[in-house]
Amino acid sequence: MTWIAIRMLTGDRQKFFGLLFGVAFSTLLISQQLTIFINLLERGATAVYNIPTADIWVMDPVSRTPDVALPMPSTALDKVRSVNGVEWASPLLRSGATIRTPEGDLEGVTVVGVDDATLIGLPKTFIAGHREVLYEPDSVVIDSSGAAKLFPPGFDPIGVRLELNDRRAVIRGIVDVDPSFTSQVILYTRYSNALAYVPGTRNRMTFILANASDGLTAKQVGERITDATGLKARTRDEFARDGIDFIVENTGIPINFGITVALGFVVGVAIVGLTFSLFIRDNIKQFGALKAIGVTNAKIRLMVAAQALLVGLVGYGIGILLAAIFIALGSINSPDFKGFYTPWEIPVLTAFVVLTMIMITGWLALRSVLKMEPAEVFR
Amino acid sequence: MLKSITERLRGVSFVRTILPIMAIIAIIVTAFIVLSGQPDRSEEEPEISPPKATAAFGNADSVAGSGLVEPSSEVIDIGTSLAGIVTKVFVAPGDQVNAGAPLFLVDDRAIRAQIQEATASIARAKAARDTARALLATARQQSALYSGIEDERAVSKQEVIDRSGAVRTARAQLAQAEAEIRSADAARARATTDLNRLTVRAPITAEILSVNIRPGEYANPGGQQGGGSEPYMEIGTTDPLHIRIDIDENEIGRVQLGTDAVISPRGEANRRIQAQFVRAEPLVTPKTSLTNAATERVDVRVLQLIYRIPADQGLFVGQQIDAFVRAKTGENFSAEQAGDSQ
Repeated sequence: MTWIAIRMLTGDRQKFFGLLFGVAFSTLLISQQLTIFINLLERGATAVYNIPTADIWVMDPVSRTPDVALPMPSTALDKVRSVNGVEWASPLLRSGATIRTPEGDLEGVTVVGVDDATLIGLPKTFIAGHREVLYEPDSVVIDSSGAAKLFPPGFDPIGVRLELNDRRAVIRGIVDVDPSFTSQVILYTRYSNALAYVPGTRNRMTFILANASDGLTAKQVGERITDATGLKARTRDEFARDGIDFIVENTGIPINFGITVALGFVVGVAIVGLTFSLFIRDNIKQFGALKAIGVTNAKIRLMVAAQALLVGLVGYGIGILLAAIFIALGSINSPDFKGFYTPWEIPVLTAFVVLTMIMITGWLALRSVLKMEPAEVFR
Repeated sequence: MLKSITERLRGVSFVRTILPIMAIIAIIVTAFIVLSGQPDRSEEEPEISPPKATAAFGNADSVAGSGLVEPSSEVIDIGTSLAGIVTKVFVAPGDQVNAGAPLFLVDDRAIRAQIQEATASIARAKAARDTARALLATARQQSALYSGIEDERAVSKQEVIDRSGAVRTARAQLAQAEAEIRSADAARARATTDLNRLTVRAPITAEILSVNIRPGEYANPGGQQGGGSEPYMEIGTTDPLHIRIDIDENEIGRVQLGTDAVISPRGEANRRIQAQFVRAEPLVTPKTSLTNAATERVDVRVLQLIYRIPADQGLFVGQQIDAFVRAKTGENFSAEQAGDSQ
């Protein structure tokens, strides 16, 4: 019987490909829009995830995100180190500054000052140079998308001299990090250099990176730090979440993009539902004939389920592959998409939505078939 | 055989068989792309390990501080008491000198000329004294002639007065000449003292830490002119070395004074050196920031603890260190607070 159902489905090539296109297109639309939306929001968390070594971030109680933070006095580091359960703590300076390029252009940058001795706070992957270049005088390490922004394509930025707050800064390495939400150029340097590069305010240390001792969770140690020092301590994931929440609360992205995503969703669902229910209505005579020769309603339901499954499987397969390739290629080729990825939840969710929709519409369209008297076909 | 396969393949429907298989392959490929594209958010250990409190005292509470290595005598900025061009520097950085050893010499020609001048004055004053002595002798002899005569009428009173007056004058001249000798002596002694003062000497047995003066440069009693100037020479006793640990004022109550501290040089967190408590500075001071910015403002005060570190640790004066000091244990701490409230 399923064989007949499949034959029925694929009998009219045009209709079948129309169905496939509808399902594939809505799969692509839903998953791709959702992915871009999620990735844009996650730009708020990149500053945290770019630093692989720390599991606790300590900051002034009023600090909110990696970029919205009030610096602390330098003794706060020793206070945090004094808390029992803190394995180690190291300072991190994160501040905006303006650089002058060799061509004389101005460009806003984020200067990240990492601990002088241990370089804790540096990202993991170096594209050019290595960690130790930071020990050289006046050296900074630029992020890859920042380098693409500052310099023409194909230009090797190693050795370029920049001017930061009237001081010399020489690019001696490139790191691979995901750009932040504002996609500013990021310059990594040592803490002592950063103090000179960033115009002076009274307190300079923006964050303290810390790790919990063995046997304690970051959450527990964070609470101890807050109790002992009065500073705000967030675990890595909490602070990443804070960055995302900040974007949600303070920008129009969730509303504007959210509407687009919702529309994409609705359009996708509508296309799938309409095409499939139209297909069943077109074939109502065939179903009637089947009923006339004694096929039970349960069999017919199975047939439609098989048809829905085949259309859903093929359409979803094409659509989701296109969406995944789109994101994967985009993240490789375009600095705007750098770091974009497809969260595994999105294909699963899309599969669920597409299958449910196709089943529901199939079932809805089928109701008239089920109610139909077999004799009606012959009228 | 080949024919049958192609025939079979022809029998296979593209739409009904190949398309679903392709769809399944597409889903598998997608799963692969998606799973391999997940961002790497794993945590990792730092490549260079930072100073760790747990390594210092196990799980016991500790108070962290940062500090500097300093000589046990503290750093002595050598100054000069007399101004002038430096003509000779006797020591080089790293030299070990005893108390009183010469460090550098300020141009002494003027003072040496003064000494010669004073010596000449002494000679002249001595000559004057000889003259005065001769005059006195003559006057006394002449006066003696008169005093031998018994008969008062034999000489006039006038003569007698003259003679005795000549003796007194000669005596006064002698006294004046002697005073001049003493004065010239004193002038020479002062010049000699100045000559000594031109040689700047080590006040204690110490190591030369830095030499910022070279022959030909001008040394001023007030130190070098201009802001941010360096002292001419820095010396200090480097055996043993001390460290000065800054403890944030909010943590003062937690520090267990008198116990050992564990210190690590910056960048060498795996080295842990036991340091012995020496004293706590009685004055809580504003924290010195090491950025050297002229606009530095300070609102954090720190308690400075002095610890002695064992010899031959390869530490240098001025090196930054991270320190962990024992904190009061729970019992200690609460007992003390209870004591306070009684």
